[in-house]
Amino acid sequence: MSGFYSAKSEQEVSDFIFENFNKSSPLEIVGYNSKKIGRIIQSSQTLSLGSMSGILEYFPEELYIKVLPGTSIEEIESELRKKNQFLGFEPNDLGYIYSGKSNPGSIGGVVSCNLSGPGRYKNGALRDHVLGFKAVNGSGAKIKSGGTVVKNVTGYDLSKVISGSYGTLCAVTEINLKVSPIPEHEETFLINNIDYIQALEIFQIALDSSLEISGACFFPHDNVSFLTLNDVKKDTSALGLRIQGPKTSVIERIQSLKKIFKDKSVIILDVYQTSIFWREVKNLEGYANTDDSICKISLPITNMRNFIKYFENVKYKYFLDWGGNVAWCSLSNQQDLDQMRIFCLKHDGHLTVLRADDNFRKSEEFLTYSNSSLRILSKKLKESFDPKGILNPNKMYSGI
Amino acid sequence: MPLRLPEPDTNVIENKKQIIYDLNKISSNIIHTDDEIRPYETDGLSVYRQKPIAVILPETTEEVSQILRYCHENKIKVVPRGAGTGLSGGSIPLADCILLGMGKFNKILETDFDNRCVVAQPCVTNLAITESVQHKNYYYAPDPSSQLACSIGGNVAENSGGVHSLKYGTTTNNLMGAEIVLMDGTVLKIGGKHLDSEGYDLLGLITGSEGLLGVVTEVTVRILKKPESVRAVLIGFDTIEDSGNCVADIIAKGIVPAGMEIMDKPLIIATDNYAKAGYPRDVEALLIVELDGTSSEVDTLIDKVLDIAKMNKASYNRASNSDAERLRFWKGRKAAFTACGVLAPDYICMDGSIPRNKLADVLGHINKLSKKYKLNVANCFHAGDGNLHPLIMFDSNNPAEMKKAEDFGADILKYCVKVGGVLSGEHGIGVEKRELMCEMFNDNDIQQQLNIKNAFDKNNLLNPGKVFPILHRCAEGGRMHIHKGKDKFPNLPRF
Ligand SMILES: Cc1cc2nc3c(=O)[nH]c(=O)nc-3n(C[C@H](O)[C@H](O)[C@H](O)COP(=O)(O)OP(=O)(O)OC[C@H]3O[C@@H](n4cnc5c(N)ncnc54)[C@H](O)[C@@H]3O)c2cc1C
Repeated sequence: MSGFYSAKSEQEVSDFIFENFNKSSPLEIVGYNSKKIGRIIQSSQTLSLGSMSGILEYFPEELYIKVLPGTSIEEIESELRKKNQFLGFEPNDLGYIYSGKSNPGSIGGVVSCNLSGPGRYKNGALRDHVLGFKAVNGSGAKIKSGGTVVKNVTGYDLSKVISGSYGTLCAVTEINLKVSPIPEHEETFLINNIDYIQALEIFQIALDSSLEISGACFFPHDNVSFLTLNDVKKDTSALGLRIQGPKTSVIERIQSLKKIFKDKSVIILDVYQTSIFWREVKNLEGYANTDDSICKISLPITNMRNFIKYFENVKYKYFLDWGGNVAWCSLSNQQDLDQMRIFCLKHDGHLTVLRADDNFRKSEEFLTYSNSSLRILSKKLKESFDPKGILNPNKMYSGI
Repeated sequence: MPLRLPEPDTNVIENKKQIIYDLNKISSNIIHTDDEIRPYETDGLSVYRQKPIAVILPETTEEVSQILRYCHENKIKVVPRGAGTGLSGGSIPLADCILLGMGKFNKILETDFDNRCVVAQPCVTNLAITESVQHKNYYYAPDPSSQLACSIGGNVAENSGGVHSLKYGTTTNNLMGAEIVLMDGTVLKIGGKHLDSEGYDLLGLITGSEGLLGVVTEVTVRILKKPESVRAVLIGFDTIEDSGNCVADIIAKGIVPAGMEIMDKPLIIATDNYAKAGYPRDVEALLIVELDGTSSEVDTLIDKVLDIAKMNKASYNRASNSDAERLRFWKGRKAAFTACGVLAPDYICMDGSIPRNKLADVLGHINKLSKKYKLNVANCFHAGDGNLHPLIMFDSNNPAEMKKAEDFGADILKYCVKVGGVLSGEHGIGVEKRELMCEMFNDNDIQQQLNIKNAFDKNNLLNPGKVFPILHRCAEGGRMHIHKGKDKFPNLPRF
């Protein structure tokens, strides 16, 4: 019997999973079911957490918010904005790459992927912002870990483990997130007409300064056309450095950057343009209308240059973010993707597929294992939450 | 107080000679005479002592792997140890254990400025990491007060924090990669010089796992550029409530200082006597706020903070005008524990975390308890992140007093949990708070954690008797899966 079950409470989640546990029947856990992320799951049952929605607690001066898993990112962000706060990991709105338009999804779905926006290298990843949670594990037991405070060494830090676990460990029923104050002001220092080698050098210089740069991205000349701002040229590369903070300090730091990069062609994006520019970066909006596979290449900064050089003659698009620690790529050829994955593994990094077609989702890996010991331990970890392997089986890795 | 640890395995104790002989073939740095092992009998929670069967000091990951594999195969317990400054008894040995001292893993392997990280062996001290990169104006952000002595591996095990964790996070937010050895000898590399390790976040799981999941043999930590300007302000208040409200207001106004610390009157006097920090001595609470960033940013923020302080009835304020002055402000706070040592023969340092707005409430409660137990207490907090350190003073020569001090501490932590906080902010559970875990967790929660322990160490040999309660079960809550009426892992000695 196939079925779609939309749970309304933690108890219902627990009952449903327990029933399936008894039958050893695999189930797919979804939020709004808006994105086919991860590998295809063979299951006849779907457990939706999308209607468990709402903000349970929000204490701005305590810097946390407690939400149900089906709460939309829009609702959370708009509530936070009223108190001049935001989610410091800047959730990527993957709606663009999945459906061509904004659709950021539910917080449960976002947490399960552990993706983070442009501020990642400075403000931490999503997993650094999950303070605690409640969930139901694969045997139907209600579990919890963490709390609402930032400092906490009380048992294993499972908030980290559930972040980025693609719903393979437990069904999360409540999430406590750290929130941050919105910077008073922001501007972007935009340098045009440079190649990737220069871009990586500029990142090094800029991030080696005390200027507290909170975003550092680079678009090569053949991947800028989608940027919508009139001030951003459409035919030449663009490197953006984001400066945030009290207004006087932002202005001062922009001046310092001008001095450091006085021989470069520079445009300053104002506060309004800055928010649009970085939204486009964060949401990979450039890849909104392609059928290509989209992936995240994570490498040490010093290996990124070799990566780009190595694949110079391959047909793909990329842009750099996080000061050169990540390349967001779009490509159609499976062999190229495999080669890139191998390169990453050899160079202390990894490749994660964010979107791919159903053929790929059936047979290929979204994530990469660096070695077999890691695979064994990951499998054991999965079993410690989900002994019969019924929660999103194979979604994250084949066989897990 | 006798320390309850899991029942020693008499076979192991009787086999001591053979075990030492076997281990000697893996590493010759093995010590077992009473005199030699005395320094390893206890850690920062020095009220408890216990001798292991031997102390082994490996020098390479391969040796660690072989030692663990041998112990795994022969069912011998292992307790890892860094610098032994832990305050919850995490590295206290068991009578039938091999103590794995990581002391010889004391080298910085690489300072990599291009990737902004340092690769180090686990027994490098926290401060040595900063020292290795400060010539280029970089530093390692988490700064426990014990940073001169504590090891980076111990920091990972305890997810240590410091006065700057409010803005820069604790160890977990600054760790990029690690090499760990599992109890069965498997060597694993997780993370590295890139951001976000892929798959399950094992790095996050290891951090704060108190040496129960694996032995850390190498770390890669992120380093930060020193801010252009750093200034601190001292703000005095006539009531603790006002200081707590001031902290909440600063945060509510969107300011995230690098650090915010509060001390109460007994500690202000004690630290000022000890460190001559120049604190005001007629205030009930002293708040230190440190701000960093570009010069103009810091200056603007200092003005804002002083305005907020005024609104919260501050009776004293002073902003640092030089680095020397700023460091003097900190000198007292950083010597809090030592200063306390002057006030009483012994003290225990508690470590709860609470919501910031409960600060005054919890302090009021601590004062009530102090009267009830007739023991003095001095308080300092990492107020910005709600992490309290009440220092309970007593005399260990008087066993009744020691018991009272422990009960007092337990009552404080229970109250922290009651107001929405947690048992430990940064010192870990160890043996000290093990039995209090049920204040926060029920059987299901604990069982899930034990299942994870089982996935990493199926015979429960790595640092057993720590973190999880061994004396009783926690209350049942929700559904627990018990297969055919049996515990899933009957071999795990628990509750
Ligand atoms: C005066 C004083 C001030 C302190 N101030 C602070 C503070 O401000 N903030 C703070 O967070 N803590 C503080 N501490 C506590 C302590 O310093 C930290 O917990 C520190 O991280 C412990 O490091 P260590 O090397 O001494 O570890 P140890 O005490 O040797 O061990 C601690 C735990 O880590 C495990 N462990 C150690 N090394 C490894 C390894 N390589 N692999 C696996 N497990 C390992 C041990 O088994 C044990 O469970 C303070 C302690 C003292 C005495």
